[in-house]
Amino acid sequence: MEPLTWTGTIGTFVNPIFSITAIAFGLAVVAQIVLSFFAPAVTLQANADGTLQQRGGAFGLAEKAVKLLLIANVALILVYLVGGILLPYGDAGIIGAISKRFLPVWIALILTFGVSITFKRRLGLYGKLFDSTVGMIGFALVMFWVFTAVLAGLFDLIATYDPLSQISGLKNKVPGFPVTDERKLGAVPHYLLGGDNLARDVFSRMVYGSTVVISIAPLATLVAFMVGITLGLPAGYFSGRLDTLLTFLSNLILAFPVILLFYLLVTPEIIQTGIPSYMAMILFIFPVVFFVVLLNARFYTQPSKRNPILIGVLAVLGYFYLSTISQPGTVVHFLPAWLDLFDIPGGILVVFVSVVFVNSPTVFRIVRGLTLDLRTRDYVAAAQTRGERPWYIMLWEILPNARGPLIVDFCLRIGYTTILLGTLGFFGLGLPPESPDWGSTINAGRRLLSTYIHPPLAPAGALLTLVLGLNLLADGLREESLKD
Amino acid sequence: MLLFLARKTLGMLVTALCLTLIVFFLTNLSPNLEKLAKSELGARITDDEVASWLDKNGYAQPTLVRYGEWLGVLPGWTRDNDGEFTGRCIDGKADAETAASASRFCGVVQGDWGESSVFKRDVGEVVSRALKLTGKLMLCVMLVMVPGALIVGVLAGMREGSRLDRSLSTLSILTTATPEYVSGVVLVAIFASSAVGLKWLNGSATSAMDNITIANFTLPVLTIALYGMGYIARMTRASMTEVMTAQYIRTARLKGVSFYNVVMKHALRNALIAPFTVIMLQFPWLLNGVVIVETLFNYKGFGWTLVQAASNNDIELLLAVSVVSVFVVLISQLISDIGYVFLNPRIRIT
Amino acid sequence: MTHQTKPGLHPAGLAYAAEHKAGTLDRREFLTRTTALGLTASAAYGLIGMASPAQAEGHAQSGGTLRMQMETKALKDPRTYDWSELANFSRGWLEYLVEYNRDGSLRGMLLESWEANENATVFTLKVRPGVTWNNGDAFTADDVARNITGWCDGNVEGNSMATRMVSLIDSDTKTARDGAIVVVDDMTVQLNLTAPDITVMIGMADYPAAIVHADFDGGDPSENPVGTGPYLPTQNDVGIKQVLQRNADHTWWGTEVYGGPYLDTIEYIDYGTDPAAYISGAESGEIDATYQTVGDFVDIFDGLGWNKSEAVTAATLCVRFNQLQEPYDNVAVRRALQKAVDNSIILELGYNGLGTTAENHHVCPIHPEYAELPPQIVDPVAAKAELDEAGHGDTEFELISVDDAWVAASSDAVAAQLRDAGMNITRTVLPGSTFWNDWTKYPFSATEWNMRPLGVQVLALAYRSGEAWNETAFSNAEFDAKLAEAMAILDADKRSEVMADVEKIMQDEGVMIQPFWRSIFRHMAPNVRGTDMHPTFEHHHYKWWVEA
Repeated sequence: MEPLTWTGTIGTFVNPIFSITAIAFGLAVVAQIVLSFFAPAVTLQANADGTLQQRGGAFGLAEKAVKLLLIANVALILVYLVGGILLPYGDAGIIGAISKRFLPVWIALILTFGVSITFKRRLGLYGKLFDSTVGMIGFALVMFWVFTAVLAGLFDLIATYDPLSQISGLKNKVPGFPVTDERKLGAVPHYLLGGDNLARDVFSRMVYGSTVVISIAPLATLVAFMVGITLGLPAGYFSGRLDTLLTFLSNLILAFPVILLFYLLVTPEIIQTGIPSYMAMILFIFPVVFFVVLLNARFYTQPSKRNPILIGVLAVLGYFYLSTISQPGTVVHFLPAWLDLFDIPGGILVVFVSVVFVNSPTVFRIVRGLTLDLRTRDYVAAAQTRGERPWYIMLWEILPNARGPLIVDFCLRIGYTTILLGTLGFFGLGLPPESPDWGSTINAGRRLLSTYIHPPLAPAGALLTLVLGLNLLADGLREESLKD
Repeated sequence: MLLFLARKTLGMLVTALCLTLIVFFLTNLSPNLEKLAKSELGARITDDEVASWLDKNGYAQPTLVRYGEWLGVLPGWTRDNDGEFTGRCIDGKADAETAASASRFCGVVQGDWGESSVFKRDVGEVVSRALKLTGKLMLCVMLVMVPGALIVGVLAGMREGSRLDRSLSTLSILTTATPEYVSGVVLVAIFASSAVGLKWLNGSATSAMDNITIANFTLPVLTIALYGMGYIARMTRASMTEVMTAQYIRTARLKGVSFYNVVMKHALRNALIAPFTVIMLQFPWLLNGVVIVETLFNYKGFGWTLVQAASNNDIELLLAVSVVSVFVVLISQLISDIGYVFLNPRIRIT
Repeated sequence: MTHQTKPGLHPAGLAYAAEHKAGTLDRREFLTRTTALGLTASAAYGLIGMASPAQAEGHAQSGGTLRMQMETKALKDPRTYDWSELANFSRGWLEYLVEYNRDGSLRGMLLESWEANENATVFTLKVRPGVTWNNGDAFTADDVARNITGWCDGNVEGNSMATRMVSLIDSDTKTARDGAIVVVDDMTVQLNLTAPDITVMIGMADYPAAIVHADFDGGDPSENPVGTGPYLPTQNDVGIKQVLQRNADHTWWGTEVYGGPYLDTIEYIDYGTDPAAYISGAESGEIDATYQTVGDFVDIFDGLGWNKSEAVTAATLCVRFNQLQEPYDNVAVRRALQKAVDNSIILELGYNGLGTTAENHHVCPIHPEYAELPPQIVDPVAAKAELDEAGHGDTEFELISVDDAWVAASSDAVAAQLRDAGMNITRTVLPGSTFWNDWTKYPFSATEWNMRPLGVQVLALAYRSGEAWNETAFSNAEFDAKLAEAMAILDADKRSEVMADVEKIMQDEGVMIQPFWRSIFRHMAPNVRGTDMHPTFEHHHYKWWVEA
């Protein structure tokens, strides 16, 4: 079996063209930026035939060149990707093979965008996202990893090898190295992005890493938001003693350096005492409370509707809650195995709880600030005069109107949490050592970086694109929500 | 103003008290004390020996009592082993006479921060050594980060939507999306590694503890600065674009003031108010980066000390470290509040 | 060199020489055993018709500074040392009675010579004349006797020398037996053992056996550094840096005996536990030598153009089971797990192939009593079937290790092998500060073991019933009996016959997965000389020098 090259046979003729256009693009961008300092301000000039003259001169030329070259570059990249899907395996090199493995993700992305753009006018803030280029790029990056995580985690699709299995002879091997051991052959006969220090497939680890990251970061952020909202709304709405107390507590947690907090919470000794389990008991009750109060406030006036809904929701959420906090091997373990819906693997629960704990106070502060601002609005006063109860006003009047900034912060915070998870991996705290999550893999790979570059680069790129995507998405959402 | 300061200081003290109490409680849980005993005596000791060591060294008292002793509001423990006295305020073993003459209280209030069990030194000495090193690092970071971020932000914000704006904004988002443990590693690979890199700079800052040079200090400073820079730059840009669309700027432009003068004389001052608070609020966040970078580059400052203290359960050092970091966080908040008032005449503290 | 030689041909020495010539005793072991009985290394080499290897110090240059990467830990009473690093710093001023050398021989330091009687129950130690403490006091037999008595005190918490001096200790009082240590005259000490024991002298070369002055109070020896050595500690910052400075006011006895010391200053700089930091330090020109280079980093340092020094050792990794805990109390489970792991792959992935595979019985081919057994069978499929049969097919195993680079990697590799065999395994990594607190108690974990010169030493230390370091909780009367039998046999050839049974018991009982014997490495800048890697990590400062 031959090793794969990066671009395969496509590369032989596309590579030279691509390198020329890429360099030209770089030059054009630099030229345009330099020229922009000297360019005259935009003035519209009417021509005799009634058209408007565009900016001319060297600057205008550079601008045009940038646009054309950008299109050319994107087209060439598409050639690599589409070529990989169409040509037989191996002809389009590593890039092509990877593109082929991601085919389900491409399909899902195209479908999502197609449907969303078609119906964007009916989709509210989400639909408006598709009016902003930045937002769309961010959304595409984020959804790429979300789809990857889901497809790999649930359907075992994209990855080529098991993320934990090691194949003798492939330790630290370069991308595209063939697998010789017949018994262990995976979906493709190569380690597409090479082997890591323990001869595991870097590509598959990156793919499965997305599952770990995507299942922890957004969920932890969501729980942190529930906690922050459930506490922040009344603090801002009622003010007074409650507010003073909660603000003091949140400032207290925020005054801790995050790393110190983690060292205090995630060490084996503290886990032994069961403190994280007790914290889980407290923190995970908030989502339950949130939904119960939310529904109760809505249907309070219709008891016949409210009671069945509440009982149903309470039963489902309560069961989830109990299954989550009851873990064998910790101090909190009361459900028998047959009743326990799921067990969160060792370490993950602790990390999850700590991340929620660190994020909640910030969310609390934001929600409280927004509530303080919004409670003076007319529609709140109107609701008060209507005789609505406080929780209804908070949850059904104030919260929906605060959604813009909250959604933006939610996106940013997922990115921050992803980075935080990596930081934990860096200090060897938290997730189990073999976990393919990006932070741990980057940390494992960095040690040998000076000779073997490839193992940490793939997860680093993945982490970077996801966080970048979330930032761009947040920017897009902010822009669009400001246009309201 | 004075009342405001007094209230803030009081709040700060209460926060510090609560915080140290939490840290004290967490570090004094029995598994942590056991770990401490074992790291002092060796891993092979029996449970009885652990208990006797803890008892001999005053750890068997109730946590709150010992917190009081640490604080210096309760008298330090003493112990009489057949004429040989040991105690919190007694150095090693002493006879009855010396023990009697030793001060009764020795805690933070008296200026005694205790002894570090990892470094076998006075905590005050360890912390001040670490702070000095980190101070140098932070100074360099600020010198690079603040002007850099402001320039990038102002350039991006003065013409919203231009290619320059787009490029700089993307760049600043990219740097905020790159955590230190990625950028540090990549920078080392590019600039310091002899196998694949350029080998211009050092990938280790150990020698910078004695003697700072461009070679050994550039990478750590750059790593922290890059991550913080993006955020400040974005805030500056936002503030700048807002100012640039303000009425008075338009008036100035219409009056025929050149673009350069508008930016330098009219827009800049007002555009810098918001970033100032952001910069101050960056401090606690930078502390995070300091921990990573000091570990990565083996620079033994405050962040490294924090990691050592936390991973070895060095109780008194950890307490001192938390106190210091709390004060850093809270004082930077205070400065940001006060500075905001000075820079923005529309806000007044009541 | 005026090395005092007193051949005092011990009868066993001749016997060993015959064994060595017959090929049943390798040279390292021959040197270890004969020199332990009191022969000098050159005499020992003479017995087997070889010249002592030439010392290369003839052209050594004096002066200069050497900076070595090493974890700098807080010092304590030397007999309670638990890390070689502690001793390597205090070696600057605290010396040893005897010195274990790279070729496996022992040579006298503060002892000029020693002799054993015929059945190795009485040792006569001759103190080196002309040795003075750096405070001016003369070094006498009383100092030797006082230190040995101190080592025998088993009541001192953490005193590991007591386990090495068992034949001098009264087991009731846990202190030195009356009449065990006799000061014959100013320059002679006699040790009377309860049983033949040649490991006594080897034990005196071990790192906790540093010789301290009568004024030493049991605390940090660097606070009042009275010793016999040529250096003095001038800086001792735990976790940062330790510095040894040549003691100008002290005439070191060794200069005229062994030559040296050459360096003015030795700096130990702490880079933590992450080998990647050592690389950065080396690339930045902040260090001249590493303390130890492990696994994958060996190639990287080679790439820097540094010189490599290798010591082939019996240092190893034991992925062991604690037989007191479920499910490892079942021998079938242990055997099944053992059978699923291919040791050669662990060596390749975990330690970059820099060693030799081991055979799960903790006796190394370089040990004299090693007996070769038929190779172990690796059969993951059969292993899984056996595990199912034992009723643990779905049991979740947890493999714990410390977070050190190569230990963690090797454990990951073991876990992956087990997983490939279809077993259910998770990994837990603990930081060093936590791991070592409970290392003997974990159900299934990986422990690093350093080398002991004799195979029986480590078996006695770690697998005999009820020993403090018996992390496997292995308790097997037959094993204990056979081991005791082996330890009483002086003839390595005959001992090895008994050892075959001992090794077989270890394998049959599935005591542990022992993947490999690792070689240990040190790298040093091209101008550094004499800092060769020592099999037990000892630093002999007086041999070190740098080329200007």
